[in-house]
Amino acid sequence: MTNSPHALPAPLLAAESLSVSYGRTQVVTDVSFALAEGSSLALIGESGSGKSTIARSVLRLLPRDLGRASGSVRLSGREILDLPERRFRPLRGRELGFIPQDPTSSLNQVRTVGSQALEATRLLDGERGRAERREIVLDTLARVGLDDPRRVFDSYPHQLSGGMLQRVLIGLTIIPEPRLIIADEPTSALDVTIQKRILDLLSGLREERGIGLLLITHDLAIAADRTEEIVVLKDGTVQEAGPTRQVFAAPASDYARKLHGDVPALNPDRYATLRDREIPAPASPKIEFRDVGKTFSVEGQELRAVADASFTVAPGTTHALVGESGSGKTTAVRLLLGLEQPTTGEVLVDGETISHRTHADLRDVRRHLQLVYQNPFTSLDATWRIRHIVREPLDRYRISSRRERDERVREALTAVGLDEGLLDRRPTNLSGGQRQRVAIARSLVLRPDVIVLDEPTSALDVSVQADILDVLLGLQAELGLTYVFVSHDLAIVRQIAHTVTVMNRGRIVEQGPVGRVLSRPFTDYTRELVAAVPGQELAGHADRVAERTA
Amino acid sequence: MTVATLSEPSLDAPRAGVLVRVPPTVAVSLLWLAVIVAWSLAPGLFTGHDPAAGTPTEKLLGPGTTHWFGTDDLGRDLFSRVVHGSASSVSSALVSVAIGVVAGSLIGLLAGFLEGWVDTVLARFVDVLLAIPGFLFAVIIVSALGFRTINAAIATGVVAVAVFARVMRAEVIKVRQATFVEASYLQGGSRWQILLTHILPNASRSIVPLAVLQFGVAILVIAGLAFLGYGDPPPASDWGRLVADGEKFPFAPWMIYAPAAVIVATVLALNRISRWLRRPA
Amino acid sequence: MRSSYPGFVLRRLGQAVVVVLLAYIATFVVISVLPGDPVSGILNNPENGFSPEQVDQIVSYYKLDQPVPVQLWESLSRFLTGDLGVSLRTNLPVAPMIGQVAASTFSLAGAALVIALVLAFAVGYGAHALPRWAGRDLLRAFPSLFLSVPNYVVGLLVLIFFSFQLHLFSVIDSETPVGTFFAALTLAIPVSAQLAEVIIANLDHESTQEYATVARSRGLTQAGLFVRHLLKPASLPVVTVIALIVGELLGGAVLTEQIFGRNGLGSLVQQSVTTQDTPVLQAVVSLSAVVFVVVNLVADLVYPLLDPRVRLTETRARATVPAPGRVPGPFAPSGLSTPKAG
Repeated sequence: MTNSPHALPAPLLAAESLSVSYGRTQVVTDVSFALAEGSSLALIGESGSGKSTIARSVLRLLPRDLGRASGSVRLSGREILDLPERRFRPLRGRELGFIPQDPTSSLNQVRTVGSQALEATRLLDGERGRAERREIVLDTLARVGLDDPRRVFDSYPHQLSGGMLQRVLIGLTIIPEPRLIIADEPTSALDVTIQKRILDLLSGLREERGIGLLLITHDLAIAADRTEEIVVLKDGTVQEAGPTRQVFAAPASDYARKLHGDVPALNPDRYATLRDREIPAPASPKIEFRDVGKTFSVEGQELRAVADASFTVAPGTTHALVGESGSGKTTAVRLLLGLEQPTTGEVLVDGETISHRTHADLRDVRRHLQLVYQNPFTSLDATWRIRHIVREPLDRYRISSRRERDERVREALTAVGLDEGLLDRRPTNLSGGQRQRVAIARSLVLRPDVIVLDEPTSALDVSVQADILDVLLGLQAELGLTYVFVSHDLAIVRQIAHTVTVMNRGRIVEQGPVGRVLSRPFTDYTRELVAAVPGQELAGHADRVAERTA
Repeated sequence: MTVATLSEPSLDAPRAGVLVRVPPTVAVSLLWLAVIVAWSLAPGLFTGHDPAAGTPTEKLLGPGTTHWFGTDDLGRDLFSRVVHGSASSVSSALVSVAIGVVAGSLIGLLAGFLEGWVDTVLARFVDVLLAIPGFLFAVIIVSALGFRTINAAIATGVVAVAVFARVMRAEVIKVRQATFVEASYLQGGSRWQILLTHILPNASRSIVPLAVLQFGVAILVIAGLAFLGYGDPPPASDWGRLVADGEKFPFAPWMIYAPAAVIVATVLALNRISRWLRRPA
Repeated sequence: MRSSYPGFVLRRLGQAVVVVLLAYIATFVVISVLPGDPVSGILNNPENGFSPEQVDQIVSYYKLDQPVPVQLWESLSRFLTGDLGVSLRTNLPVAPMIGQVAASTFSLAGAALVIALVLAFAVGYGAHALPRWAGRDLLRAFPSLFLSVPNYVVGLLVLIFFSFQLHLFSVIDSETPVGTFFAALTLAIPVSAQLAEVIIANLDHESTQEYATVARSRGLTQAGLFVRHLLKPASLPVVTVIALIVGELLGGAVLTEQIFGRNGLGSLVQQSVTTQDTPVLQAVVSLSAVVFVVVNLVADLVYPLLDPRVRLTETRARATVPAPGRVPGPFAPSGLSTPKAG
């Protein structure tokens, strides 16, 4: 694959035929790309694509004794892969900055932010006193948008939020004024609105100081918004490379095309036919929240997780519950399932209240009310075989004969597109996508009316996410299921949901048909949320959504 | 947002390799344990010498071809004494581990599962067991029960109860909060069903390597008690007793080396296997 | 008050007192209630030469003619006033008997703790920081080996080698500094293995954490990373382990003192076991429990001050906020979350 046409004489960073192996397994094969001074390039791919490995081999931070990189990586024309460690080390920080993925684990927990920041100032040229270095740190913390630099300076990492920590880390990276920043999924651990602010900050700093950016991301939409060039990776090889606009406008490789089709933000109408099918006019709502409030007392203080929440869901439709962390959407789901009791108000399913009832009393209701968890790696017991996992609900409810139960297990697996050969495997031998299908199959065997989907795809890769959504929408159309879909991702909500409730800090901010709420939000919060969805620049589909009547 | 805490790397890579690969050191350890078990079950197959009857003319001989480990002060063959002592050493360690595992796991299971005052009471009970230094506690239990190897095993087992109870309780609390437990609950499982079918199997996974490790510890402690003379009286030849016999003859150090080497090799093998079992699945 | 530091101190203090009392009772129960009646055995044995008056005196002192709960109550109330009773063997008060030998055992255990820490940190840090060619992997095998060698075998080997062959010290006079050193070394070896395992595991864990990579990306050397970042978080948990290990040192002293012919608490225990001198046994075991509980208490109280992550308030808050995967329903009766007015 060729590199960018902008990469003239000596590009800032140039990788040629870079291959990396861990022990005997080769994870990156023959990757080449180039990045011009001050420009930006995205390495994008799903898990196992080798994108993070490439970032780490450029920084030469592969696990010691294990990772081996070969080929060539040049920084401003200078080969850095075979430099002795002693001569490469001064380049770290000074020339090459690094922004990690998870800010909460990227600072030493037992040292203050300030003491770690002072470490970064040592990389600056020239002798400086402690007071002067402290000033530099405080200025930088202010520059990255932290309101109270002094407090941050004296804090321990666990006292700050993820967004603040990522600002700190960006600050530490820019202190020594590097020429290239390598950002490894810098926002995937953060809420959408914070993600946007962090990315804006990063873009601003780049423009201000002419820093080059190597962005590692799984999110095609972010790459589309934030970089000039793009390299698409799969299984450690380059699938496609070129200017971002070109790759998006006309993806040449099969893989890039499939990826493009799977990204929700770029394909708001992917499920339009399934979603907009004929739904009989409801006689009564399937689910109803009546002035539901939930207060927890923590440390003697009252914490309002949900306040005065009212909404209804019509049978056969998908209702999205949207919000960032701390919005109360998780509590709402737990109230709906009877796992928590509301402090005020009540929750009704099929006109029947489920609040303040015992486990035994709720058995019959729960049979028709199923939950699919966010993380299929923790929601399936690893010591059980798939056959038993999917059959567990039938066993618990003692439904029909043993033989018939096995038959129903097989039906459910087929319905979610899994092979019967998996019946005797254990979850550890399945991929994430397969596990989530198993979880969906488990929720189907009892033939429920309502399935609550708690961020069912957010732990999965985009292409796997698309497969799971296919399955879910197909089942809904076929069986007339009602879905409550909890999500932080408005792009998916736009793709699949009929109605939406937006929550923030325990309160319902806005609700209504998806088309109206997302295209003409009434409140500032929803507007900010909609604006934070990446990939809009290239999607250009926003108008079409507005036209669709829900 | 919770999304990214479990975010991406390798989430979708299916786990390959259902076959268990046994590293060479583990294979050697297993082999050695097989030998020890064979010695315990059929000592007569491995040695022609009588462990109790000595030949006075052959006393205190160094290791050689007729007496592999040498002879003791009464001219008894040390190899034969070690082999015949295995049964007692191994079975007493087994008894001890069984007591520790059964009583400890039960206490831990109940404490972790029932919470509330049951947990508080059991936790204090375990604290008390931990507060009295293990070896001292074993000593006073043996002295109360009488100086027999089986009593040493019981004492060692009682001391180990605290260890298993603590680990089991921590595991139960961890597993109880697992998402799949809540899932099972939502599928209509009752709490006792969940305890037996989900919590117990998952929590026991870390008990197994611990039990193997404790087996080694029990061998050491019981041998220590035997060394002090708190085991079966002579002519029994528990490994610890054999080391004690050798103490009186520092000029014939093989009397110490042979049984000590067997103890060390056995405990080392058990430690290695325990470590291997503990490896991330 | 529940979550503040003073509150935490008070709660832990209360627990410690309860545990000591329970340990005393447990010991009493094991010694007096389990099969066998050592006391009357000793008293009635003509070889011990107790006159009938002395027997009566002892019987009334220990209330041996009364039911066991009364005996326990008597014994416990004496313990609380600091009276440890009278030895059945020597007919002397127990407290001074213990006082005479305790110094020997505490200096042995103290020296052993220091040696164990030095050894463990040397092995632990070496096993992590040394390059492979300098024997890193070899060092990693040490803890396992040390854990597998019985304490008394180490003692005998030390004796054979350093005393009988090199004549560095003599068993007859083993309380000399050199003798104490070798006895402490014997006692320290298995203990140091446990500590070293903890240190190695912590260092391995910390060095694979993201913050270590990020610190290196800022140009830190391996040595700088080690000193500035890994050392502290990897060493902190050792504080808790030290506390647990004190119990083992006291228990191990029984064997070590026997081998080296030292006159300490351990040998006192052994004598008392042989002569069934139950008041002495009771006193030594209870005293060990007190030492163990106090050391643990100190470790528990100091730890939150050393580790900024352990903020008592915050850990509590985190534990009560609901999250997916917690099952309030079946495990906490739903009565707990009955609606409040509001």
